[in-house]
Amino acid sequence: MPNETSTLDCRSAMQQLWDYVDCELTTQRMEAVRRHLANCSHCLPHAQFAERFISALHETKDDCGCPGEVRAKVMAKLREAGLKLS
Amino acid sequence: MDDTPDRPDTRDAEFARDALPFMDDVYRFANSLTRNPADAEDLVQETYLRAYRSWHTFQPGSDARRWLFTICRNAFLRSREKLRHEVEVDDSNAETLAAVQAHAEMRQDGSDQILSRVDLAPALTHALDELAEPFRSTVILVDVEDQSYDAASEVLGVPVGTVRSRLFRGRRQLQEKLREYARDAGFASVAVAKEHDDA
Repeated sequence: MPNETSTLDCRSAMQQLWDYVDCELTTQRMEAVRRHLANCSHCLPHAQFAERFISALHETKDDCGCPGEVRAKVMAKLREAGLKLS
Repeated sequence: MDDTPDRPDTRDAEFARDALPFMDDVYRFANSLTRNPADAEDLVQETYLRAYRSWHTFQPGSDARRWLFTICRNAFLRSREKLRHEVEVDDSNAETLAAVQAHAEMRQDGSDQILSRVDLAPALTHALDELAEPFRSTVILVDVEDQSYDAASEVLGVPVGTVRSRLFRGRRQLQEKLREYARDAGFASVAVAKEHDDA
């Protein structure tokens, strides 16, 4: 596992990049990676790209909701099963 | 008049309030599992019927969306009789570094510019459709549905390390597809031309 010291080398920072953009690291590791990125012109563009990539993925959410006819069928099945809505 | 939570009308109202609003999310997840709109429709119906019948087991105040995802995945596995124990290589650190390398290559040919220049949602939706299981459902849960690694681990019934490994590999594959899309859209050649002009 990568070390948890406040000074990271580029390899350690990049190994933790996805965990960092997902905010899945401990507070200390988040801070260590953040500090590294703030001072490393080599790693910062990778982090910015990763964040834009995740953000673009999240935006696909608006493109693929449940179609109206499927929703209507599910509601019909639920009513058959006893669901009563006022 | 008695208004206990066990009354059917109260139960139904709670189900409508807490479970029904997540039908879009459940549909997306079902679609990621089945890769087929007709099967996704059946799976959403099955998920909601099971959820309604089991609503008394739902812990009020807990995460209804995660609960629905878990029911959906279990219903899918039952319907497909999938193997529950999969042997996978868990090397998430290598996957992260590979993704960084992929980005470095995209920067070199200029294809990374696509992220800031065009609406990527259609291309990414298509790329997600092409992504193989189990990577797709993991990416959908974490990146589209905002589930934490722990929550995705619970829904998928695999260790957190496996979630990370699947997620990072899925993201890397998506980046590769994005790079192909960028080349097709002419972004790489634009960058090369710009470099030529600057020289």
